[in-house]
Amino acid sequence: MGRTVLIICAAATLVCGGAVAWLTLGPTVPDRNLAGLQGDVNRGAYVARLTGCIACHTNSKNGGGVLTGGPEIPTEFGSFYAPNITPHPDDGIGAWTLADFSRALTAGIGPDGGHYFPAFPYAFYTALSDQDIVDLWAAVRSVPAVAGGPPEHGLQFPFGWHRGVGIWKRLYLEAGRPEPRPDRSPGWNRGRYLAEAAAHCGACHTPRTLLGGRDLSRKYQGGIGPGEDKIPAITPEALEREGWTADDLRYAFRTGLTPSGDSLGGSMAEVIRDGTRYWSDADIASLVEYLMDPERGE
Amino acid sequence: MKRKTVVAVALAAALSAGTTVALAHSGASGVVKERMNSMKSLGDAMKELTAIMRGQQDYSAERVRTLAGTVDSHGGEAMAKLFPEGSLDHPSEALPTIWTDWDRFSALAVQLSDYAAALALAADNERPAGHGSGGMMGQGQGTMQGQGMAMGAMMGGGMMGTGQGPTPEMLAQMPPDAAFMHIADTCSACHQDFRKKTN
Repeated sequence: MGRTVLIICAAATLVCGGAVAWLTLGPTVPDRNLAGLQGDVNRGAYVARLTGCIACHTNSKNGGGVLTGGPEIPTEFGSFYAPNITPHPDDGIGAWTLADFSRALTAGIGPDGGHYFPAFPYAFYTALSDQDIVDLWAAVRSVPAVAGGPPEHGLQFPFGWHRGVGIWKRLYLEAGRPEPRPDRSPGWNRGRYLAEAAAHCGACHTPRTLLGGRDLSRKYQGGIGPGEDKIPAITPEALEREGWTADDLRYAFRTGLTPSGDSLGGSMAEVIRDGTRYWSDADIASLVEYLMDPERGE
Repeated sequence: MKRKTVVAVALAAALSAGTTVALAHSGASGVVKERMNSMKSLGDAMKELTAIMRGQQDYSAERVRTLAGTVDSHGGEAMAKLFPEGSLDHPSEALPTIWTDWDRFSALAVQLSDYAAALALAADNERPAGHGSGGMMGQGQGTMQGQGMAMGAMMGGGMMGTGQGPTPEMLAQMPPDAAFMHIADTCSACHQDFRKKTN
């Protein structure tokens, strides 16, 4: 009798322990095969404007050097600080390989095998193209190596538990690139890539669940952004309701100005200032085409 | 009877005078209203300038100068004095960081006037082809897009904030669109840091 209970307990412990280990491991994200691809520094600098690397990893307001680490990102889970990603060997990512860089972006896993918190939007970057990753790497390697960096993340219990991120990933990380839609225009497909992968619009514009995953049943319906900013809905219906035309949106991405002469505030001001303002006309037009498509269907 | 009426009228008059004085001197709510009106005037001027720069309204140097003058008159000291410390009464959208970072706030107010003055001076300058619809930036800042931007794009910490980019004197020599963009950036920079998120 006593032995049976012991065996059952032991088995239960093993199963539960195994479940925790499996859960916290997170999903398997295959490494990209980047062999033979040549990185282009100039293109990579442009990709960095598409992906928002500079906005998050640079404390421009306090005169911080490019990619030397960002200002506080206050969230309901605590404070995040995008780290120093200059090529400094100790304080930056100077000791990384391209494979490390690619795994960080597409799987949210560091060179030590640990999970990154999803404030780093790898749930979007997982869909970056191989060439964009290689170009980004070239660009990131080209900036001056700078020592130092922002403070460690300051997270509230229990969100500071790194391995718990594996469970988050099992729930919310859908790895890899979606297939292009042949029934849509090249501009639409490019816009989808920009919105869904590079520029990660949904990181703020899609509301999140209690566990901090995107609630895809309410995609682009607005939410709470950094610093508890209210983030507006950007569904085609919401944009139309607010009176935005495609031309208005293209102009706003370039200038930050709304048709009423007001300026977009909060974190969007930063997105425009450090990001969309530098986009090509074609990329802005593609993004707007995708966002405003009432038949977007995803 | 007549005397009572006179007294009543006098009393009413005295009361209403007292009330008027009290309202005029009620501090915060008065200044909040005043600056919201000022912001409304700024917004109206920016709205029309936006339409002109986008090509939705015919370009008129005269009109641009007038509107730039409006913006100028609402910036600088005129703006700063509408933000006495702690004036946050409903329905103000101001953030208390204005007073913890007053130097930056007042510098942005001055910058707004400086860029508006530059726009007035630049109003007759030649404009680049392809302005409007956001195209002007595409034309004017070709080097920042894609090819040829190299590290400049990674290193350039943006064009906003004080002490960066062209001076008002330089902007006065450039197409009016450039000065206008700097005004827009100034609005944005200030709203990003010092206004409650409304859009």
